[in-house]
Amino acid sequence: MLLDNRKGAAFPLAFGLLAAVLAAVPFFADLFYQTFLTEILVWALFAISFDLIFGYVGLLSFGQALFFGLGGYAVAIPILKLGLGTGSGLLLSVAVPAAFAAFVGFFSVRLTGIHFVIITIIFALIGSTVGETWFSLTGGADGLVFMAPPLDLGVAKLDMMDIRTTYYLVLAIVALSYLFLRRMVRSPLGKVFIAIRENEERARLIGYDVRRYKLLAFVIAGGLSGLAGGLYTLSLKYASATFLHWSVSGHAVVYTIVGGAGTLVGPMLGAGLIMSLEHYLVKLLQATDLVVGAVLVSTLLLAPMGIVGFLRGKRK
Amino acid sequence: MASNLAVAVLNGIVWGLIMALIALGLNLIFGLLHIINMAHGALYMLGAVFSWYVIELTGNYWLALCVAPLAVGLVGLALERGLLRTIEDQPLVTIICTFGIMLVLQQLVLTYFGGTARRIALPIPGRIPLFDLQYPVMRIVIAAISAAVMGGLWLFLNRTRYGLWMRAVVQDREMAVALGIPVHKVYMWTFVLGSVLAAFSGVLAAPIVSVDFMMGREILIMAFIIVIVGGMGNLWGSVVTAVVISLIHGVGSIFVVPSTATVFSLGFMILVLLVRPQGLFGE
Repeated sequence: MLLDNRKGAAFPLAFGLLAAVLAAVPFFADLFYQTFLTEILVWALFAISFDLIFGYVGLLSFGQALFFGLGGYAVAIPILKLGLGTGSGLLLSVAVPAAFAAFVGFFSVRLTGIHFVIITIIFALIGSTVGETWFSLTGGADGLVFMAPPLDLGVAKLDMMDIRTTYYLVLAIVALSYLFLRRMVRSPLGKVFIAIRENEERARLIGYDVRRYKLLAFVIAGGLSGLAGGLYTLSLKYASATFLHWSVSGHAVVYTIVGGAGTLVGPMLGAGLIMSLEHYLVKLLQATDLVVGAVLVSTLLLAPMGIVGFLRGKRK
Repeated sequence: MASNLAVAVLNGIVWGLIMALIALGLNLIFGLLHIINMAHGALYMLGAVFSWYVIELTGNYWLALCVAPLAVGLVGLALERGLLRTIEDQPLVTIICTFGIMLVLQQLVLTYFGGTARRIALPIPGRIPLFDLQYPVMRIVIAAISAAVMGGLWLFLNRTRYGLWMRAVVQDREMAVALGIPVHKVYMWTFVLGSVLAAFSGVLAAPIVSVDFMMGREILIMAFIIVIVGGMGNLWGSVVTAVVISLIHGVGSIFVVPSTATVFSLGFMILVLLVRPQGLFGE
């Protein structure tokens, strides 16, 4: 909340503080928690990329898994089969899914409501079916395991097999992506997105080319979902066709709904909360999906605007 | 070859009639409540799992065929009354909510039923000769039961007062309210009926496929395909589409890899969504 809507110095202060805390984590947390936090950051990025298309433009896409999975393969395949470096892999993990999103979006944004939901599921299903079948390229459901070469930044070489270095890289990229999205949703472009969400007809009558804006949002969301997939694969050193399955998109949906759709802090908070909940409850009962589903359903019924929306409503 | 083709055609029809029941339930719920029920596949799975328990206890498949759908109907009743009623007018929210319900149901079954697939013995073990192969009698019985249930559903919708109410709500909800039709009650029983149909087809499918907690996940998508191609809200379009798609898929799988057939049917569905979003048989 602090991060999202205060004016003036509050935001840089809160953001800097949080970044400093997260940057200090490796000094007091062991490798397990560094890995865990890396994972949370990756899924948080996936969640905000979904939130751009759902929370800001109002289109429920269950197809983000397609771009997530593609982003993973865009890192793994060039490293494994073409001998490219980690840096070009990460660039491809934005570019390739964004290109696919342009294709998928070109058709999908013509539809609205539930038809849009279903067409995105179908595109993701085609992706996972092809991914599972094209074994020579993707390794199917078994996936691809690889060694990540060091990332050459010019001034320094980052060892991508090191857990702490990977954590810092992921932290930096997720923080930059967050700032990028934050800037965007507050720009005139972001206002158009929100206008479309609130009343598509009105936005069209004012003169905005609604389809083009939807497509633009879909491509940006696809690219960032891909980046999340690329970072996930880079941290696990593993990519699999199972990442492409439409139900993987459910993660982003759950985190966004629980945290608060239409805010950027909400989905990130949701990712952190739900993943921590899963992590601690898995020892108690072997039924994490039970908790996730129950939290999702009760949020929808009790606080449909999510945690952040609920808190904001209280403050007003 | 001829016998392979005959088996594929028969299997296509049998499976098509089972899929038609599932799709009818999904479509009925969509047509009335405008809910895309993502938990529909889980209700189908729940029917099969309940029937496995009944058969374990009593050894009687036919008893399971009566009891399991009713039990799932109760689950549907609880879901509609307890959760969905307050959000029925928000399509996107209900999609997400039923997705959550799907997660919960699948996980509950995984916890109590276990992750291993289980088989149900054929209640009618006989086989009839078909060219140089043998075809299980049970499958033909299953197809006949499916067809009979659809006939019963037709009678229910066209010859009873509740059926009339349901059709009235689909046609014009406001007018139905104005005429004093208890719309919320109709919603409730429609959701229960849809759940019972899903579970019933789960029990029918159980002797053919194996019973496991993920069996509803792919079925859900097939049911979506059928409902969209046949036309959302168009019940009999769903029945025709279910049989035709199963036949194409069954016969096609003799000639091409099953995954190729899947990709083609998915591609076809995208085409239908873009060109004829009201479905092939819609007006």
